Amino acid sequence: MELMAKIAFGVYTLIILCGGILAVAAKSLVRAMVGLIATLLGVAGMYMLLNSPFMAFMQILIYVGAVCVLIFFAVMLTRADAGGEEAESAPLRQNTLALLAVTVVGGVLSWLVLTHPVAGTGVPVEVSIEKLGLGLLGPYGLAFELISVVLLVAMAGAVLLAWERRNGK
Amino acid sequence: MSPLTLYQLVALLLLALGLFGICQRRSLVGMLICVELMLNGAGLSIMAAAQLTPANAVLGQLATLFAMGLAAAEATLVLAIIIVVARRFGTTKTSAVTTLKG
Repeated sequence: MELMAKIAFGVYTLIILCGGILAVAAKSLVRAMVGLIATLLGVAGMYMLLNSPFMAFMQILIYVGAVCVLIFFAVMLTRADAGGEEAESAPLRQNTLALLAVTVVGGVLSWLVLTHPVAGTGVPVEVSIEKLGLGLLGPYGLAFELISVVLLVAMAGAVLLAWERRNGK
Repeated sequence: MSPLTLYQLVALLLLALGLFGICQRRSLVGMLICVELMLNGAGLSIMAAAQLTPANAVLGQLATLFAMGLAAAEATLVLAIIIVVARRFGTTKTSAVTTLKG
């Protein structure tokens, strides 16, 4: 990596780390969501570093634009404000078990990553949007159609679940 | 350390943060935020593996795109479930939603 790329990588890693810690540890859910947005932007920066600005744009469009707004709706609709659910700290047993889970999973995976390094090419390949579009219409067309069906079903299911009956109940 | 290893470690960091959060959060919305963190780690990992190895880069980018779409669908459904739970129990604390507990 060049020097600038290294600096940018460090900055993005720092953004991801701080945002992630805020998202996990903040007492207020709105603050946690701000942390999540910072993390998502950091990951978008990583995509830029990986030479794929289209994916960075999609990350910002889908995650920051759609998913975060959905989560904000969830926060507002359930009135989970600052004095609400996350105000008191978690019991010690829950924290210990969470730490144990992270240690086991993170330990095994980082051991795997560090002991079995894949000799990758140092320079990220460039993929044009035309190639992505041809892939979506050609060999991966079925997956593309399936994901649209999944999105449609999810949308219809969400409307059905949250439907409030006017009469009766 | 190769760049690929560094990217995988950052993805692992996201996974660890999300996993810790999902075990430790006590409201459904907090857990949803942590699930999004983990899905982002998965996307970053796929993306790094696609761009920095001789593997098929188009397939990797499209896989990340599909993971984003699935995350959006999942967030929609979880939002609906949270609304139903909040309507029925009056709260989204996970400790309060224990009807099945004997």
